[in-house]
Amino acid sequence: MRPEDESPPEGRPHAGPPGLDELLSRVARGDRGAFEQVYALVSAPVYGVVLRVVRDRAQSEEVTQEALVEVWRAAARYDRERGSAMAWVMTIAHRRAIDRVRSAQAGADRESRAARMDVHRPFDEVAESVAARLEQERLRRCLTGLTDLQRESVTFAYYGGYSYREVAELLKVPLATVKTRMRDGLIRLRDCLGVER
Amino acid sequence: MTGQGGGPDVHALAGAYALHAIDDDGELRRFERHLARCAECSQEVRGLAETAARLGQAAAVEPSPALRDRIMAEIGQVRQLPPLVAPSPRSALSGSPARPWRGLLAGWLRWRPRLAAAIAATAVAAAVVLGVVTVRTQTGLDQLRAADREVTAVLAAPDARSTTVPAGAAGGTVVVSRSQGKMVFLASGLAALPDSSTYQLWQIGPRGARSAGLFRQDGTGYISPVVAATADGATKVGVTVEPAGGSEQPTTQPLLLLNLPTA
Repeated sequence: MRPEDESPPEGRPHAGPPGLDELLSRVARGDRGAFEQVYALVSAPVYGVVLRVVRDRAQSEEVTQEALVEVWRAAARYDRERGSAMAWVMTIAHRRAIDRVRSAQAGADRESRAARMDVHRPFDEVAESVAARLEQERLRRCLTGLTDLQRESVTFAYYGGYSYREVAELLKVPLATVKTRMRDGLIRLRDCLGVER
Repeated sequence: MTGQGGGPDVHALAGAYALHAIDDDGELRRFERHLARCAECSQEVRGLAETAARLGQAAAVEPSPALRDRIMAEIGQVRQLPPLVAPSPRSALSGSPARPWRGLLAGWLRWRPRLAAAIAATAVAAAVVLGVVTVRTQTGLDQLRAADREVTAVLAAPDARSTTVPAGAAGGTVVVSRSQGKMVFLASGLAALPDSSTYQLWQIGPRGARSAGLFRQDGTGYISPVVAATADGATKVGVTVEPAGGSEQPTTQPLLLLNLPTA
């Protein structure tokens, strides 16, 4: 049975802002006006996630620029069968951010980043839009439902940009445990958020 | 690790993969190969990647207005990538005429080692037959070329995904390209049938079975791949034995059933 055949759970939020799919297909045809609308929809999430990983504002703007230019360049390669348009954009942004820190940062530097991270308060920026605030609130509630190890494994990896090996080292737990906690933590989060599959 | 074969340890990487937390290239490639043949895993990874994206969305921060101007200026100088399409028939056939999709298949299979093992026998048989046919009849070759172009296009599609039932008594591999809207079914280990009957391929979904075509069998017992348009909602493919000419609906129990890869 395909997931589309199931009735959606109540109150399920949409997977991305409406119309991003359609806008991307116009961008793929070289439509700059459509790209401006894409920019309006995704620039804050993209910059936000890059900033979480990279930390430095100037570098984060550079990485955001790289990621959004990549969205322009590769728009024709977006395949809606493989996931939502927002997830596609966020994947590009997150990968770019991780590439930046993995190539640039030495161990000591990364540990100081770890020290600055507070996994119990994963959002240190106050969201500016109502929608983002609601999203934060929902996510905060769902993160509370994870075990400490699940939450730390997921947030160190995603917001910290750490590999699972690094997370295992930081948290002093076996590799297999971290892998498992990343997976079951994300699964619990997915179910709590009612993410479309 | 339980190695190439997968196993629970490979599945456990789905979370790390969705979080981009695998920093070992070899391990990443192994996991992606596993994903390519595990429909359930790619479904899970998709859901987990959507979840990770939500973590990102919750961290939204407005960038400076100057960034927008810089990006709009830069895209004016960046050439866009074309959509992913299969290579044109001409380029696909630029090699020797007798082996239009063999080389492509080999290249494709390098990334899908288990699939390679499962259909190696089919590929070799096809190569031999194609060679024989080249010297046999021009008409036969033309027919094969037309069929091969279709096979090639599906195998070459960047979004080609496969499911394999390892050859035992009867096995097969189905390769689906959603962008092409087509699937290729390569049978292996099917016994030659008398002229009075034929193997028929079905796509099966919530609304029942729909014929995806008949298998052609030549004098040597070689069974050609079947190419068909993917039917909406189909989740499985099956093979049955039917009277020569095929049937409207399956009249016998399927010899094999495969889940269609979902992504």
